[in-house]
Amino acid sequence: MLQKVYDWIDERIDITPIWRDIADHEVPEHVNPAHHFSAFVYCFGGLTFFVTVIQILSGMFLTMYYVPDIENAWKSVYYLQTEVAHAQIVRGMHHWGASVVIVMLLLHTLRVFFQGAYKKPRELNWIVGVLIFFVMLGLGFTGYLLPWDNKAYFATQVGLEIAGQVPFIGEQLRILLAGDATIVGAQTLTRFFAIHVFFLPAALFGLLAVHFILIRRQGISGPL
Amino acid sequence: MHKGKGMKFVGDSRISAERKSQIPKDYSEYPGRTEAFWPNFLLKEWLVGAVFLVGFLTLTLIHPSPLEGMADPTNASYIPLPDWYFLFLYELLKYQFASGDYILLGLLVLPGLAFGALLLAPFLDNGPGRRPKQRPVAVGMMILALVSVIFLTWQSVHVVDWEARGEANKPVPESEVAVDTEHEGYAAYEANCMTCHGAELEGGSAAPTLVGIEYTAEEIQTIAKEGTGNMPAGLFTGSDEELEQLADFIISVNESAAE
Amino acid sequence: MSNKKQQVSRRQFLNYTLTGVGGFMAAGLLVSPLRMAIDPVLKHSSSGDFVNVGISVDEINDTPQRIDWTVEQVDGWYKSEPSRSAWVYKDENGDVVALSPICTHLGCVVSWEGSDQHPDHFYCPCHNGLYTKDGVNVPGTPPLAPLPVYEQEIRDGILFLGNPIEREGA
Repeated sequence: MLQKVYDWIDERIDITPIWRDIADHEVPEHVNPAHHFSAFVYCFGGLTFFVTVIQILSGMFLTMYYVPDIENAWKSVYYLQTEVAHAQIVRGMHHWGASVVIVMLLLHTLRVFFQGAYKKPRELNWIVGVLIFFVMLGLGFTGYLLPWDNKAYFATQVGLEIAGQVPFIGEQLRILLAGDATIVGAQTLTRFFAIHVFFLPAALFGLLAVHFILIRRQGISGPL
Repeated sequence: MHKGKGMKFVGDSRISAERKSQIPKDYSEYPGRTEAFWPNFLLKEWLVGAVFLVGFLTLTLIHPSPLEGMADPTNASYIPLPDWYFLFLYELLKYQFASGDYILLGLLVLPGLAFGALLLAPFLDNGPGRRPKQRPVAVGMMILALVSVIFLTWQSVHVVDWEARGEANKPVPESEVAVDTEHEGYAAYEANCMTCHGAELEGGSAAPTLVGIEYTAEEIQTIAKEGTGNMPAGLFTGSDEELEQLADFIISVNESAAE
Repeated sequence: MSNKKQQVSRRQFLNYTLTGVGGFMAAGLLVSPLRMAIDPVLKHSSSGDFVNVGISVDEINDTPQRIDWTVEQVDGWYKSEPSRSAWVYKDENGDVVALSPICTHLGCVVSWEGSDQHPDHFYCPCHNGLYTKDGVNVPGTPPLAPLPVYEQEIRDGILFLGNPIEREGA
C-alpha cells in the first residue's frame, strides 16, 4: 500500500533523486562510533539540531498560552506553569533546551575547531556555523525577557545599556531594540517577542539550510 | 541514463517515465568500513538521540524552569544577572581595564577580537595541516579563550548565593490578600514591618513577601525579634503582647490568601 | 555581436531591467516596514521633564519633610503613574535640596530621624544605614554611596523635580 502511494507520487514528481540526495549516501568509517568509539564527537552537530527541533516545537506550543504584553505576560507564564497540565514540562523543555543547545553548539564548534575541519574547502560552512552561533545567542538574549519577571527585566536592562555603549550608533541601536528612548516596557516586550519568534528563527532556518546543503555537497571532513 | 531522442515522459511533463531503482547502493563494496546513511547509520544516531532525550526530559522534570516575581521597574535593589552564557561578558565588564574610561575595550575590542577571530578562523589559520600539533598558534589561542571564558564565568557564579537569590525572588501571584486593618495586630505590623514588607505584605526590594510563608506563630515571633537571612535582629520593638498579635495578624492574612 | 557600437547586449539589458524591477519590488515592500521599525529612534524623547511635586518653596523649611508625587509615564499605548518620593529641605544658603529616599545599600526606604538613637540623620531601618542631612552616607554603616539628589527647578515658587542623579561614594 505504502509502496503504491510512493510509486504514485514518484511517477508524477520524481522524488527518488531528492530522496537519494537527502538520505542515500555513504557514511565513512571514521565517523562511525561502531568502529571507533571516539567518533561520538561527531554526534554533537546532530544533537544541536535535535535540540533546535525541540526548541521550535516547544516554542510553537508555548505561544498558545503566552501573551507579549507587560500586564499579562508574566501572568500568562505563571498560569501555564501552575494551571495547565504538562505546561511546566513544555516550558522546562524550552528553558533548559536554550541552555543545552548552547552547550551542544559549543561542543560541536570545538570538535570542528580542534580537528581543523574548517580548512579548505570548508571555510564557508564554518562562517555559516559561527553565524548560527550568533543567532542562537540572539535568541537566548531576546527569549530571556519574554516571561517578564524581575530576572528578565533587569538583565535586559543591562543588555540594553551595553548596546547603548557602542560608539556612534549605540544610542540608536538601543532605542531600536527597546522601542523607547527611556523606558524598558510594553514596546520593548513586543519588539523582543517579534525578534525572538519571527526574525531570528527565519534567519536560523536560512542559515541551517545552507549549513546542511554545504555538508551534503562537500561531504564530511576526512579522518585526521 | 537515457539521453537525446527516445526519452519517454510522464504525460506532457518533464518527468522521465523511466523507472529507477529504489534500492540503496551497497556501500559495503566501498573501501573502508563504510555504511549507508539511511537506515544503518541514522538508526545509531537516533539511538544516541533517544538516550539524550531521556536525559533531557529527566532534567526538565527534576528542575522545573524558574520564574521569578513579575518585573517591577521600581525595584531598585535587584541585582541583575544575565543568562549563564553571557556571564563571562558581564564579568569582564567589572574589571577596571574593561569599564569606566576603558569601557570600549571591554565591550567592543576584546569581544570583537575574540568573536571576529572565531568567525574568520579558517582565514587566520590557513595552513594545510589539520592536526592540532601542526597549528599551535590557533589551538593555543582557542585554549586561552576557553580558559578565560570558563574562569570569568566561574568568577561570576561563585560569588552569587543562588539559594538566597531563588528564595528572595519567588513568583508571587497578584495579591488578592485581604488585609484587615482593624485587626489588633495590624498596628504592630504597621509600626515594625510595613516599611520593608509592604502595606499588603507583598514584600519589596529589601524584604520578601509574607504571603505564602509556612511558619508557625512562634517562628514568626522569633524571626521578628531575631531576624533571618538578610533581616537583622532587633527590628521589632513592641511588647510581647503586641508580638503575639502581630504573629496572629500575619497568619490570619495568610489564611485569607489561601482560601 | 557584429555591431560594435552596441554597448549593452540584449541579455545585459534584460538583467539590468530585472534587477531594477526586483529592486523596486523590494523597496516597495520594505520601505514602510523599515520606517515603522525605526520609528522610536527618530522620535524625540520626552525624558528629563520636570514634574510639579505639589509643594511651594515657602512650605519647605530646614527640617527634611517627605513628599510623594506621581509622574505620568507613557510607554506606547501603556500609561502608568509610577509614584516617586523625596525628602526636601532648605540648606544653610536657603537652597532647596531634594533627596531620593532609596537607600543605596539594598533599596529600603530611609526616613529622617527614623531612629531615636540617631538624631539629625537619615536612618535606614533594614541594616541601620545612616546618612547625614546632606544625604552623604556615614562611613561604617552599610551604604556605600550617598542618597541620589533630584534634579530640580523652581517655577513661580513651586518646586519641580526631574530625575534622581546618583552621586559618588564618600
